[in-house]
Amino acid sequence: MIEKERMVRDLEYEYLVPPDEYLAAGVHIGTQVKTGDMKKFIYKVRPDGLYVLDIRHLDERIKVAAKFLSRFEPSKILLVAARQYGQKPIMMFSKVVGSNYIVGRFIPGTLTNPMLKEYMEPDVVFVNDPAIDTQAVQEATDVGIPVVALCDSNNSAANIDLVIPTNNKGRKALALVYWLLAKEIVKIKGIADFPYSVEDFEAEL
Amino acid sequence: MDIHKCISCGANLIGANYVKFPCPECGEIIYRCKKCRKLANPYKCENCGFEGP
Repeated sequence: MIEKERMVRDLEYEYLVPPDEYLAAGVHIGTQVKTGDMKKFIYKVRPDGLYVLDIRHLDERIKVAAKFLSRFEPSKILLVAARQYGQKPIMMFSKVVGSNYIVGRFIPGTLTNPMLKEYMEPDVVFVNDPAIDTQAVQEATDVGIPVVALCDSNNSAANIDLVIPTNNKGRKALALVYWLLAKEIVKIKGIADFPYSVEDFEAEL
Repeated sequence: MDIHKCISCGANLIGANYVKFPCPECGEIIYRCKKCRKLANPYKCENCGFEGP
């Protein structure tokens, strides 16, 4: 009975893109490691040991994160990605939304040391992977800025204020997530024109 | 002076050991203490019921 109710509820739910598109991009593919913080976002474990993330949670969180980010001034949003495949998507996201970004090495003191020429004072920090962009998460915590993060099944939610459960390693997965976020933010701001495709957000091989 | 409380543990927030942000769902201001953030303690918005992180 509960299963039937769940199926009906799932049928009524409106995804941002068809679920097949999510699956094709591989946003649901997790890792072979599961953390307690990410347990509630995990759908099942595959026979090969990979944890599969629930795309329904991802879809809901993308909508929520877009709502959250649109509450801040675009120039006060800082995106951080050290991972190669995350760099092009955040550059495109920043171009569309008008936010700041740091790709590659995050210079220590960027958020805490006013003597640095790279110093900035954002209102919210968005990190691609909290396990890699630890310096950004730590500095945001020190200065009391909220942190939004793309978390895979192996990530901890420590010092994160909003988790987006997704595969944060795949080229296509990252492109789709950032594209959807940008599209949603533009939609919330009331701009009808969004002339970009997912391919525009994809990093080169 | 207003003393705010952590949404997860109810501790009084003094100094800079906390973060404040609008609820991702409804925009109500949420306060989280440093300890609850570090432990990734769940929070629930009192206004709309959104559960995070």
